[in-house]
Amino acid sequence: MSIDSSIVEFIYREARLQDEHRYEEWEALWTDDALYWVPANDDNADPTRQVSYIYDNRSRIASRIQQLKTGQRHAQSPASRMRRVVSNIELESEDGADVRAAANFLLIEVRHGEQNVWCGRTLYRLRREDGGLRMQQKKVLLVNNAEPIRNLAFLI
Amino acid sequence: MSAIPIHTEAEAFARSSLDYDRLIENDRVHASLYADPAVFHDELATMYATGWVYVGHASEVPQPGDYATKAVGLQSVIMARHTDGKVYVLHNRCTHRSSQVCHEPAGHGDRLTCPYHGWSFAMNGELKTVPGPGGYDQSFDKAALGLVPLPRVGEYRGFVFASLAATGVSLDEHLGRAKESIDMICNLSPQGEIELSAGWMKTRIRANWKMIVENQVDGYHAPFVHGSLMRANRRFATVRDRRESSPARVRDLGNGHSEIDHATDYRDKGTTLRWSGNIEESRLPRYVAAMNAAYGPDEARRRMIDGPPHTAIFPNLFLAEMAIMVVQPISEKETIHWTTPVMLKGGEELNERTLRRGEGAVGPAGFIIADDIEVSERAQKSINNLHPEWLVLKRGLHTEELQPDGTRTAGLMDETTQRAFWRQYKKVMGAGK
Repeated sequence: MSIDSSIVEFIYREARLQDEHRYEEWEALWTDDALYWVPANDDNADPTRQVSYIYDNRSRIASRIQQLKTGQRHAQSPASRMRRVVSNIELESEDGADVRAAANFLLIEVRHGEQNVWCGRTLYRLRREDGGLRMQQKKVLLVNNAEPIRNLAFLI
Repeated sequence: MSAIPIHTEAEAFARSSLDYDRLIENDRVHASLYADPAVFHDELATMYATGWVYVGHASEVPQPGDYATKAVGLQSVIMARHTDGKVYVLHNRCTHRSSQVCHEPAGHGDRLTCPYHGWSFAMNGELKTVPGPGGYDQSFDKAALGLVPLPRVGEYRGFVFASLAATGVSLDEHLGRAKESIDMICNLSPQGEIELSAGWMKTRIRANWKMIVENQVDGYHAPFVHGSLMRANRRFATVRDRRESSPARVRDLGNGHSEIDHATDYRDKGTTLRWSGNIEESRLPRYVAAMNAAYGPDEARRRMIDGPPHTAIFPNLFLAEMAIMVVQPISEKETIHWTTPVMLKGGEELNERTLRRGEGAVGPAGFIIADDIEVSERAQKSINNLHPEWLVLKRGLHTEELQPDGTRTAGLMDETTQRAFWRQYKKVMGAGK
């Protein structure tokens, strides 16, 4: 299955908006039925019974962004300097407006003189709307989600 | 026969020169307590080696054959349930050639089998099988080569504690009034039981473990550290009163345990379930009915108003309202923080909500704890600065009240809770001298 360049561009842009802390633009990518999910311990954990690191619906995404925008979210004030490389993009399925894709990422985060490496695979569920794409679900499978992690107050 | 300690002479010398009477005063503590590796080693050799330490919860190993890998200080231990139904806490080190026996955070099996040469042990530690037994003669004492159990293990309402020392105060004595806090969380279940079955959020923190403990019961920092949440989502943030004039009190429960008594504030408001994010009883009909059926309407209402405890149990357990947190010291400047939302038996309607609130509030991505971690790390960064030498814990010292039951109470923003921790710390650490 060949992958449409609009999907690749969307994934790159979403990553860049996170790296550059462009909170409002990032928030605008989400659909109203959004799910931003970072499982803990097990990629396939059942979220109705198991705790995740992040399991945000649309309103919690809004609160997360609101908090970051206060400038007093100490864990991101100053904000981390970050760049991530997104690669190994694969289209998993495309069914009408519903697009499922996946990609690996490698992220370097620098904060308070410390450099952290974050890595994982992201599963995207995108929706074609009004000629563009929006993000309905983003599930981030951290390779170290079963280990103790550093603060995850930035957008991953 | 006493153990032959493994440490360097330099460490032993540094430890022997520590004078806790000088380092801990009534209203201030010395920075070296958070910065000096010798203090950290002394803590491992003293409080983590002689006192009771929280290990895990019985619900993490519900069936015989279940085990979970835990820590007591820097000691890796296995908490396992044997076929006799009892929970054992064993040193996670093969008695043959030192290999770690369990490397998974949790599991289930008939035996604990060492991956190195296949020695296998029962869940009570007993050595069952040694491959190639012909290589040993009668002097091979299998019975003496079981996984080494921690000499004392105790349980209170499913909370499992252990001590590396064979003698000392009983668990009952150690917990003292903190048992009421454990009761309080269990009492929110219509069956009187909680389950720690939701998995753990684990955070690596570059700060001394004592900074984390002191912050858990600090009623003073919230408007400053958590101001961003109060501004971003008042509903999430303001379910209770954080003003200086709040009816909520802090309380020194004795033995180093302390609490922030939010129940007083909730009682003042007089509505149930404020602690759950202020949801209406009508949205939890089965839970409310089960509570009423179990305890009668008056008692059920009282419990549902009072809510969960906010209590630090010395030295490493925090009953963080609807979460349980465990502090695992790694070094004088590094700590792992374990957090799991509390699942109530018979409270299924509430449990998924508790998961979501736990993630939102108290994990490494949470709206609250990430900022607590940040400020603790900033405090640790400057702890090696030469001046000032002391940290000030004076707040409310002149107004706190000694109650007839021996507890000390003070206003929500007073440092009675930190003083409670340090009083016990000094007692335990000083006793080793």
